[in-house]
Amino acid sequence: MARSRAFERWSRVRAGATAARDRLEHHALWLTALATAAVLAVMLYLPVGVVFAHAILDEGRLTLSQFADVLTDPFYVGVLADLFAEPLAVREHVVDVVGWLAAVSVSISVETPIPGLDVPVPWLRVVAPDVRTGLFGFTAYQAALSTVASVLLGLPAAYVLANYEFRGRKTLRSLTILPFVLPGIMVAVGFYAMFGRAGTLNELLGIVGFGPYSFIEANPLAIVIVAHAFYNAPLVARITVAAWESVDVRTVETARSLGASPRRAFRDVVVPQLLPAVLTGALLTFIFTFMTFPIVLALGGLQLATVEVWIYDRVRQLAYGEAATLAALETLLSLGLTYAYLRYESAQTGLARATSAPSRQPLFPDLQTALSPRRLAIIGYGLVALVVFAGPMGSLVVGSLTDGSGLTLRHFAFLLERQFEGESYQTLPVVAIRNSLLFGVATLVVALPMGVVVSTVTVRAGRGGKIVDTLAMVPLAVSGVVFGIGLLQGLVFGIPLPGGWRFQVTGAVAIVAAHAVAAYPFVTRNVSPLLSNLDPALVESARALGASRYRALVDVELPLVASGIVAGAAFAFAISIGEFSSTVILTGGGDTYTMPVAVERYLGRRSGPAIAMGAVLLFVTAASFVVVDRVGGRFER
Amino acid sequence: MKRRMFVGAVGGSAIAGVAGCLTRDGGENGTNGGTDDAEPENPDLEGELTVATYTSMVDSDNSAGPWLKEAFEAEYPDATLTWTVPSQGLNRYINREQQDADIEADVYFGLNVDDLVRIDDTLGDGGLLRELNVDRIDNSERIRDRLDMGDPHGRVLAYDTGYISLVYDETVVDEPETFDDLLEADYQDALLAQNAQHSDPGKAFLLWTIDTYGEDGYLDYWRDLEANGVRILDDWTESYTGSYMEEERPMVVSYSTDQVYANEYDYDMSRHQIGFPNDQGYANPEGMGIFERASELDLAYAFLDFALSSDAQAEIAQRNVQFPAVASEHVDLDPEFDQYAHEPPESVTFGYDALRGNLDGWVEDWAREFAGR
Repeated sequence: MARSRAFERWSRVRAGATAARDRLEHHALWLTALATAAVLAVMLYLPVGVVFAHAILDEGRLTLSQFADVLTDPFYVGVLADLFAEPLAVREHVVDVVGWLAAVSVSISVETPIPGLDVPVPWLRVVAPDVRTGLFGFTAYQAALSTVASVLLGLPAAYVLANYEFRGRKTLRSLTILPFVLPGIMVAVGFYAMFGRAGTLNELLGIVGFGPYSFIEANPLAIVIVAHAFYNAPLVARITVAAWESVDVRTVETARSLGASPRRAFRDVVVPQLLPAVLTGALLTFIFTFMTFPIVLALGGLQLATVEVWIYDRVRQLAYGEAATLAALETLLSLGLTYAYLRYESAQTGLARATSAPSRQPLFPDLQTALSPRRLAIIGYGLVALVVFAGPMGSLVVGSLTDGSGLTLRHFAFLLERQFEGESYQTLPVVAIRNSLLFGVATLVVALPMGVVVSTVTVRAGRGGKIVDTLAMVPLAVSGVVFGIGLLQGLVFGIPLPGGWRFQVTGAVAIVAAHAVAAYPFVTRNVSPLLSNLDPALVESARALGASRYRALVDVELPLVASGIVAGAAFAFAISIGEFSSTVILTGGGDTYTMPVAVERYLGRRSGPAIAMGAVLLFVTAASFVVVDRVGGRFER
Repeated sequence: MKRRMFVGAVGGSAIAGVAGCLTRDGGENGTNGGTDDAEPENPDLEGELTVATYTSMVDSDNSAGPWLKEAFEAEYPDATLTWTVPSQGLNRYINREQQDADIEADVYFGLNVDDLVRIDDTLGDGGLLRELNVDRIDNSERIRDRLDMGDPHGRVLAYDTGYISLVYDETVVDEPETFDDLLEADYQDALLAQNAQHSDPGKAFLLWTIDTYGEDGYLDYWRDLEANGVRILDDWTESYTGSYMEEERPMVVSYSTDQVYANEYDYDMSRHQIGFPNDQGYANPEGMGIFERASELDLAYAFLDFALSSDAQAEIAQRNVQFPAVASEHVDLDPEFDQYAHEPPESVTFGYDALRGNLDGWVEDWAREFAGR
């Protein structure tokens, strides 16, 4: 009797548990979405809100005067200052513009624009009165140039990696992301070591009797732009390769069978499928280079300062109001661009993409093919890529093995000695490596669901979805310096609560959360275009057959967007490994430092040990990317 | 199954996470909020002394931090010295003070005069650090007169000083005798300086030119320097390791102790000549102070005294490659250090009073000259 009652209760509990599990599974998507929202609220909107409050609050009162101050200062906005100061004086502004246009003259002349080469080129000479662009104007100008350079350098790489088969292609594809993880200071040191007067390139040119040239001195802006391309061209390449590999080859074949020439088929069929990816890469590049800071100052100097330089200065002076105002304007600009792009992206809906990927041709099947113009162009590009990408990284490795007097292992000996004899308050290399890898994997685990959930939620939400999607891109649009301060004030010091309590988030969990917040937009941007191109009928039939929304996502949609997820995963891992500004704040003096933080800490009066640590960072990251890509590749198709 | 675990893990860790994020502030206003720095009869020399500093004090090749810890603990066997390196430097403590959060350190080791100015601009005069009772620091009498940092609130003592100077390649340029020389054609596109907005040597060099040409003349001088091709890079590391060492330019704003490294690392000495324009160098004394809310006051005083003792001064100077703060009769330095570390005939420096209320404006006006055009 008693026993049967117990059994009855037990089976009721079990039935309840099953029902609960079903319900849970049913609502898993929404629960994950809620968890994502919670992480974002705590790790993103809270810190950013804490800082941005400084922009609109003055001693507790709402004010827009700080914005007015910035917008009417010619130093920041150049000629637009007049416009902002007197927005209603339309007549005067029109007169100004007409006066400027009247002073512009265009002429054609013959010039030799390439320094060092005496090649006359017909040149369109435009003479216009100087327009004061202000800090924002200059920042946008260099970002635009950097974006063009990154796309120009990134696309050929994507073309080669997507269309040709050669030894080491997969490894090379994995390594494209490597520049992304290098701390700014290492890139600067690498660039000087490569392009400096005593650098590797001049040594090579010296062998064939040229030089030495002062590449950096001759045109600092150009070298800054090349450095930005070093960072961002791999980004463009990587996103584009992922899209190229998911081009449905049958659509090309159809076009060809209908009589289109290969070129025509490429233009009308392939290009439209690649364009969203290329533009995503361009948009991200523009936003990143708009917010650039260490690279411009390290290579270009104060003459090439950007808005971010001023934000950093204001933060150092603890003038948070002005810093926040500048940062808010910067963020508004990037979010505006993002919104415009997302509207475009959603307009690009196509057919569901099946996974019949294009086949690759061998790159150099025989000598004759190797001498064809196209192959020669690829070889030419390869040489450029070697100089721009492999050069600085190779020079870093060389720098870690040499000092003023020649080859030496003393920098690595320093790392070993530190590892075995270092004190607990010192920075130990192996701890840094371990932390970097652990946080990288943890970031993957957290950022992937976050990114996919944001994609799923926004792809299905129509126009409102674009706004949500734009807001979800905030981590990319907020300056790293400001985010760091927000973390410090909002989370590390804690928000005071009644009763002497404080809400604080610190330590490893906070670092992983911060990395995940920085990384998930990359997952989203890689997945969303694929997801929005999926035929909704696929999901609908799964649902009609009884699958929950969650199951439809896992069993139908995810496999079809796997290539995007894998691409996003690599980015998430890379972001985590390379992240510096928030890591260094959340680490504080504790032992949760990562490899880039260790590099920074070893930079004393002599930078040998730091460069050696940078070489370790390069090596460990290169090895893990090959692993990430190999493991990821299995899920891709 | 896996999904369930996933959902459970997400939910569970969220709850645990929130619970773990709540902390309770310690006792009100710390334990030593008062101003009683009179020497006690039986100082409490037991416990854990936390000293905040910058990274290279503990983390470079042969830094002074580990030696100081070991020697201090040998001197005070019941004490433990714990180094901490705040990621934002002193700003971390200014922020925490503003937010009324705990200050986890007792001593700050490595302040400049402009840090004091920033403290007072943000927190009000005499904030954050306590006025020192120098009677408790017997060795403070040994500090050289020139290294008085000029704080009206008596919060810091110098423990060493560096001199900003020019470092040049004698195979390319001659030593510039004066600042005006730097405007000559011989020095066209020769000089590398640092961004005074956030680089110590960069700021020191700017202040040096303000000392030479005055508040009203320094911007004109810099305009001429720019016309002669000066380059202003981010920080000392970028300008020195990045640019100067790769022979981009033959002259860089750096420290007068440069040859100590050149000797240690077998660099070509002709590229590491020290130039003192106008026979001057800009002194950048580094100071130490005790937090107002320090919990180990007696140990903190003992540490400050210890840092000025002869042994500590010699080690700090040689390991940190700076000059000692105490007069030469109180410290024995290696002859090699004496040979390669150069002191300028005359030293220039702005004290607290000159910088207070001026520094921000000077630096910003200067930076606006170069940026955004």
